[in-house]
Amino acid sequence: MAISPTDLRPEPGSFRDPANRVFHLGHDVLRGLDAGAAAHWRALAGTEFFTTLLADGKVCGTEAVDPVEVPDGVPWAAVLRHERIPFVSHPYEWSFTMLRDAALLHLEILRAALPAGFTIKDGSAYNLQWRGTEPVFIDVGSFEPVRDGEPWAGYRQFCQTLLYPLLLTAHLGVDFQPWLRARVDGIEADQLRPLFRGVRRLLPGVPTHLHLHGAMQSRHAEATTTDVRAQLRAAGYSRELALATVRGIEKLVRRLDRTPAASHWADYQRTCGYSAQDRAGKEQFVTAALTDGSRPALVLDLGANDGRYARLAARHADRVVAVEQDPAVVDTLYRALRAEGERRILPLVMDLADPSPGGGWRGVERASFADRAAADVVLALALVHHLAIGRNVPLAEVVTWLADLCAPGARIVVEFVHPEDPMARRLLANKPEGLFPDYRREEFERVLAARCRIARREDLPSGTRTLYTAVVGG
Amino acid sequence: MIHLAYLDAGSGSLIVQAVVGGVAGVAVAAKLYWRRLVSRFRRQPTDQR
Repeated sequence: MAISPTDLRPEPGSFRDPANRVFHLGHDVLRGLDAGAAAHWRALAGTEFFTTLLADGKVCGTEAVDPVEVPDGVPWAAVLRHERIPFVSHPYEWSFTMLRDAALLHLEILRAALPAGFTIKDGSAYNLQWRGTEPVFIDVGSFEPVRDGEPWAGYRQFCQTLLYPLLLTAHLGVDFQPWLRARVDGIEADQLRPLFRGVRRLLPGVPTHLHLHGAMQSRHAEATTTDVRAQLRAAGYSRELALATVRGIEKLVRRLDRTPAASHWADYQRTCGYSAQDRAGKEQFVTAALTDGSRPALVLDLGANDGRYARLAARHADRVVAVEQDPAVVDTLYRALRAEGERRILPLVMDLADPSPGGGWRGVERASFADRAAADVVLALALVHHLAIGRNVPLAEVVTWLADLCAPGARIVVEFVHPEDPMARRLLANKPEGLFPDYRREEFERVLAARCRIARREDLPSGTRTLYTAVVGG
Repeated sequence: MIHLAYLDAGSGSLIVQAVVGGVAGVAVAAKLYWRRLVSRFRRQPTDQR
């Protein structure tokens, strides 16, 4: 493969393991392996468990290609090409059941690897991504031959980025997303232990994986892992024991469940007061926008709620990302989509007035939502009034933000709820009178037309809502 | 050969995995602590010389 080094872009989120690194080359995702990692790959590629995981789609599609020179001049011993994940998401954008399913897949893969003589050298939630509602393990570089007598090196990372967030939500009903968003390495045992005092100490998984684990970390902070590995091996720690530990964690994770609290948004579709005619008109309008032009590869449904329009979009597009701020609503949507067998919609948790910023090292290790979104169609249905009135975002800002989420030439399908509409009136009633003199249909059209070409406009039968299809840069 | 992963596994995190692995694991952890204890007493005379 003759490639100019300047064509390769290193993936900012892939630097922690120096033995291998991910690069982008156009639409291709490549992984360079050093000599040691290349030897591990060759051993791995021949195993039955790995080929089965690949065939089942549980590990991202991977094939070896000819080695290339990378920009820093390191000649990699081997280069792999990976399947492209349709939309990269971060664990703090997943719902409880999504995080649990991701954790279970991670454990399943480790459980399959151990009897075949392999382990996974880390245990991060960032090892997992989604193809719609299907979790997929992406960190092929983290498989390595297991050394008998050694426990899982990724256990602490697994606890911090997967198990502790699950315990927090399952046992205490606290949403884990803000905790994971704030800390790229996840929740440390000592940060969570104060929340599990009294009888809560006894909740499943808490005495061992949290309290004992935290106490052991403090107690053995001085001991090197090299010494401890040697001592454990000498004391008879076996591969069977490692497997039993993984099975134990798997059993625990399977038991964890969230108790959904009643929320305003969970009832939204029922209570938001659309007439049947409005709904039919809206569905026709959205369908026309989706089918007018080339088939969209990626549709973003912003404020997806129960996923009605995400499902509609999935009929006319390759992939849909359904974004909703309420974790309980996203969890219900995820479970429903899984039950329906709908695999092309990825539901995500995000407050759209506070979308995911860049995170981790230099703020680029985990890309911001705006940097990941390059949609062919953006659906912003019954959203603008929540941002403009509910969160005081100026209309022009809302339009600029929507346009920035688009690929060139993309379409925005946006609904403007007039100030006279009952839903808008309810929001306006919470703010001082006259605070939003610009919240008018004419002003919205003016800012929309300044940024896009308005291709279509339609008033819904109720007369208080208008839909627009706007072409970005058109 | 001692082979270290790029990730610091954490000494306490390694030992606790023996304990959560059931009865056999607890036995391994107990053995590890017993050996540590015994080696401490064995070392003492040489240290004092």
